[in-house]
Amino acid sequence: MHNRQSLLNRITNPKYIMVYATIGIFLIVYAFGAFMYSDKGFLTIRTFANLFIDNAYYGISAVGMTMVLITGGIDLSVGAVASLTGMFIAYGTTVLGLHPMTCILASLVMGVGLGLLMGWVIHYLNVPPFITTLTGMFFARGVCSLISRESIDIHHPFIDALAGWKIYLMKYANGQWVRIRPIAFINFNVILFVIMIIIGTFILQRTRFGRNIYAIGGNEQSASLMGLPAGRTKILVYGFNGLCSVLAGVSYALYVKSGWNLSLQGGELEVITCAVIGGTLLTGGVGSMIGTLFGVLLKSVIPALITFNGNLLSWWGKIATGLLLLLFICIQRFVVTSAGKRK
Amino acid sequence: MSELLSMKGITIEFPGVKALDNVDFSLNAGEIHSLLGENGAGKSTLIKCLTGVNHMDEGKIYLEGKEIRPSSPMEAIETGISTVFQEVNLCPNLSVAENIFVGRQPMKHRQINWREINRRAEELMSRFHLDIDVTRPLSYYSTAIQQMTSIARAVDIQAKVLILDEPTSSLDENEVQLLFNVMRELKDNGMGIIFITHFLDQIYAVSDRMTILRNGHLVGTYGIKELSKVELVTKMVGKDMDVIFNLKRADVKPDSRITLQANHIGDSSHIKDISLTLKEGELLGFAGLLGSGRTETAEMLFGASRIVQGEIILDGTKLNLTKPFDAIKAKIAFCPEDRKRDGIIGDLSIRENIMLAVQSRKGFMKPMTRQEQTDLANKYITLLGIATPDCEKKAGELSGGNQQKVILARWMAAEPEVLILDEPTRGIDIGAKAEIQRLMLEMCGSGVSVIFISSELDEIIRCSNRIVIMRDREKVAEIDGSSCTQQDILKIIAEGAA
Amino acid sequence: MKVSRLMQSKVTWAIIAEALILLVCFIIRPEFFSISYQPSTGMLYGSLIDIVNRSAEITIISMGMTLVIALGGTDLSVGALVAVAGAISLKFLRWDVLTYNTPGDYTVYPYVLVIFVPLIVCALMGLFNGFLVAKGGMQPIIATLILMVCGRGVAQILTDGKQFTTGYSPFRVIGQGSFMYLPMPIIITIIVVVAVALFTRKTAFGAFVESVGVNPSASRLSGIKADTVILIVFMITGLLSGIAGLIYSSRIMSNDSNNAGLNFEMDAILAVVIGGTNMAGGKFSLAGTVVGSLIIRTIVTFVYYFGIVSEATMAFKALIIAVVIVLQSEPVREYFAKRARKKEGVSHA
Repeated sequence: MHNRQSLLNRITNPKYIMVYATIGIFLIVYAFGAFMYSDKGFLTIRTFANLFIDNAYYGISAVGMTMVLITGGIDLSVGAVASLTGMFIAYGTTVLGLHPMTCILASLVMGVGLGLLMGWVIHYLNVPPFITTLTGMFFARGVCSLISRESIDIHHPFIDALAGWKIYLMKYANGQWVRIRPIAFINFNVILFVIMIIIGTFILQRTRFGRNIYAIGGNEQSASLMGLPAGRTKILVYGFNGLCSVLAGVSYALYVKSGWNLSLQGGELEVITCAVIGGTLLTGGVGSMIGTLFGVLLKSVIPALITFNGNLLSWWGKIATGLLLLLFICIQRFVVTSAGKRK
Repeated sequence: MSELLSMKGITIEFPGVKALDNVDFSLNAGEIHSLLGENGAGKSTLIKCLTGVNHMDEGKIYLEGKEIRPSSPMEAIETGISTVFQEVNLCPNLSVAENIFVGRQPMKHRQINWREINRRAEELMSRFHLDIDVTRPLSYYSTAIQQMTSIARAVDIQAKVLILDEPTSSLDENEVQLLFNVMRELKDNGMGIIFITHFLDQIYAVSDRMTILRNGHLVGTYGIKELSKVELVTKMVGKDMDVIFNLKRADVKPDSRITLQANHIGDSSHIKDISLTLKEGELLGFAGLLGSGRTETAEMLFGASRIVQGEIILDGTKLNLTKPFDAIKAKIAFCPEDRKRDGIIGDLSIRENIMLAVQSRKGFMKPMTRQEQTDLANKYITLLGIATPDCEKKAGELSGGNQQKVILARWMAAEPEVLILDEPTRGIDIGAKAEIQRLMLEMCGSGVSVIFISSELDEIIRCSNRIVIMRDREKVAEIDGSSCTQQDILKIIAEGAA
Repeated sequence: MKVSRLMQSKVTWAIIAEALILLVCFIIRPEFFSISYQPSTGMLYGSLIDIVNRSAEITIISMGMTLVIALGGTDLSVGALVAVAGAISLKFLRWDVLTYNTPGDYTVYPYVLVIFVPLIVCALMGLFNGFLVAKGGMQPIIATLILMVCGRGVAQILTDGKQFTTGYSPFRVIGQGSFMYLPMPIIITIIVVVAVALFTRKTAFGAFVESVGVNPSASRLSGIKADTVILIVFMITGLLSGIAGLIYSSRIMSNDSNNAGLNFEMDAILAVVIGGTNMAGGKFSLAGTVVGSLIIRTIVTFVYYFGIVSEATMAFKALIIAVVIVLQSEPVREYFAKRARKKEGVSHA
């Protein structure tokens, strides 16, 4: 009884199995890439850093999506909201001549507001999240197209500075710090992504609000009978997800330096896929930020592998992602049934 | 003793019915007060009104002399009213410890203090003599432990009023005793406990006073010594008990044909070797504790779980049962234990619920016409006395007893040769219970062989021709139903066959 | 039927919504309703015809989607299957584009293959979805997410990422031909709707679907082969997506693996929900779904017809759908039903 809190016992807790699976498969895929393409530089830190740089916007959005999925809901509006954010920034700075921060603030009001509104409709009007957020997606895309149907480039010193800002990864050699070769760096997006993951982890693990999210996902009726504020929690989760979508939009705007009404189409499903292969259950109640982090990495390593191969059509990436999903769902099934049997 | 809680003139109306009509209730500090009544008497409604789930149309609630009006479960908990509901109302994905503390976690530096949560949870669970890993998800554990967890949560809240709604239905005898000890301890600390159960013995074992409701009206509040069991039941039902329980056992001749025979059957997990025979028109009782293998055996006979050894013979032909459909085709029927999960199809009408087994045997390509379905449904609504305005009412809107009758009708309509009933009378009121027993015996009379599984020994003894006793997933004895007593069976259950 | 019961039915609200939208059209410009006959093509023309014609793909798919949703699931893969069907049929029409480098009125492989192989493949893909759900015990939304993600990849790989075009006239008939004065897609839609309605309501299949949707465990124990029901439903949905895919690619006489069927799953689900089928499963209404699909298309046609900037279509659509959904939401319906009950109470007294 006294070693109940022991490390081994904590590690073998069934609730972590999915996270292990994600990390394990990521390592396997990564090792495979390292083995196949080490001559092309797959194993370098630069490649690893690029995984973050090229997918930070998905990752940022996945933080909020993970929370929404844990409550047992879904949010299809994230891609459109992120796209709209990009459009706000592009149109605001390039056409209206506003400062980008003003545009970002406006986007935040829009994104969080829409999120809260959708949360309210889902909870109080009892409309399925799928339908509510689908309508939200149509709305955001529509407004986006209303602003402009052309791609607008962003030229603003503030944006350029933010997008160009880099931290070079250094190593200590011959008594001084030098940039590692091949040169690797991380940028604002990566830092934002990491910060969001840390904030997400803190919320989920260390706050009552976070634990309420899990409780609602486990059984909403029970949660409210236990006296937990189900409605408030759900609404705030959708609001927080709106925040994440806007930040993802900012991050994407920094990445491509333009706004386009059709950008990030289908992005919501990419984000959901990241969360699912990160061990989040679409039925709700299960998921973690660390899993989502590795889900994003795992999903982004596949296009990287295809690029390194050089011969494959990019479409194989979609098929590989689909197969990965299948694999994960099978593992989840296995975990659920085997945990259910141990009574 | 000081009055802790008092409810005065509570009236609640639902569309079309008065669920509660001018009901008074009072609870003292340091008292265990049983709330009694049949299904639909208004017990749950009264509790829900106290916990803020339902809102009352008239009446006042006073807690320690101050008027309260709980409008949500959260508010009720804040005012000091804590509830353990009949079905486990916890989150299966959270750990045991977290389920106890979620929403009021101890904090340290504005962060959840997990170490403290786990430590206090272990302490609490050890009070129930449960030595388990509280950091594992709740779903990892049995229903009994889950129920204990939910009681632990309520206890830890240190409420002034604790409501226990059917907390014992999934507990075994030892666990019930543990729970009673905890209840007495809490009572000595001055807590007022409202206790709801269907088990009369438990009421007499633990409570101080009881309040009886019938059809939304207050019958009265009595001290525990004021009423005998018979008087109590009479007051609950409003009829004389002898009339209800005046049942005659099925009449089986020694030379009756054997219909169903199982030889050394076992499933892939627990059940190893069960043999039994069933005669035409016979009622075979299955007694044993929860988890003794009764349900598992029934599921094997119905093809709901696969048999890996032995054989099942019906009317001389060996059956190959791989799914329920096969059994239904062979005219075996099965009323499962969990009515809500496995029996009733709540959103469909009574008509559709009743015709389902008949239709599924025919296959979907040979549909019954709407008229045939309606006729069938109406026939059984009349025959079984299902209380409903018409056969198009949603089955989920019926009371527990009527839902059970609908399921029974589904299987009677399928005209089975063998009918397996797993706890058909659980959680329904005494009147409906007696009626279902009567129906069961009538079916026997018309030549159907019935297997009757129940946790309540008196009804098994009252109805069965023979009784199979299960213990630790084995069949330990088979005794004659007409000449045995509860004590005989209890002894075998407790100690195994002599 | 009592007014209160009618007010509680979601289908009623869907029909009212459609009527209101049409009424607004009529008030703004009555000629919205004019229908004319064009002897050169032998077809009727008019906005109303156009609405029905253009809604064909979504209506056809949403027939299957209704059943999937009645089972308590959703099928996200239908849009991808539309792309797959288009890719396969064009592949058979053109085969190796290097050899058959100009599109024309010919087909490389027999027309039978052009039509049936895509349908069979789509049905099999639907079956795959069904298999994951029924035998794998997966949640439908996630089981179908797999094909949604890789379906377009498959379509691209089949055509080497190229866009083929064709001029084969029998193929053109599917999407652009006419029969009995009506555009072919309308005829196909009518056939599909009637077939699905007969199959579900004239047999007990519909009841079985509803039963499994409400309570799978109890249905299984009542002898329904739930797995078979699930397999059939997903297979039907796959097949219908294939039919929609043929119509779509016949309209453009090409395959477009990127955009064919894009967001069809969303529109189809929306049509079903607007039509009054609960996303949690159970009772379904095919007629409601047809109305739902028409509503979605009416909005779009309305926007085009009245020359509102077409950029606004999406936003406009979102607003109207939001209104319909809010009107249909439980609290709102309860409110109206209560009022209707009160009125009835008064009139009875």
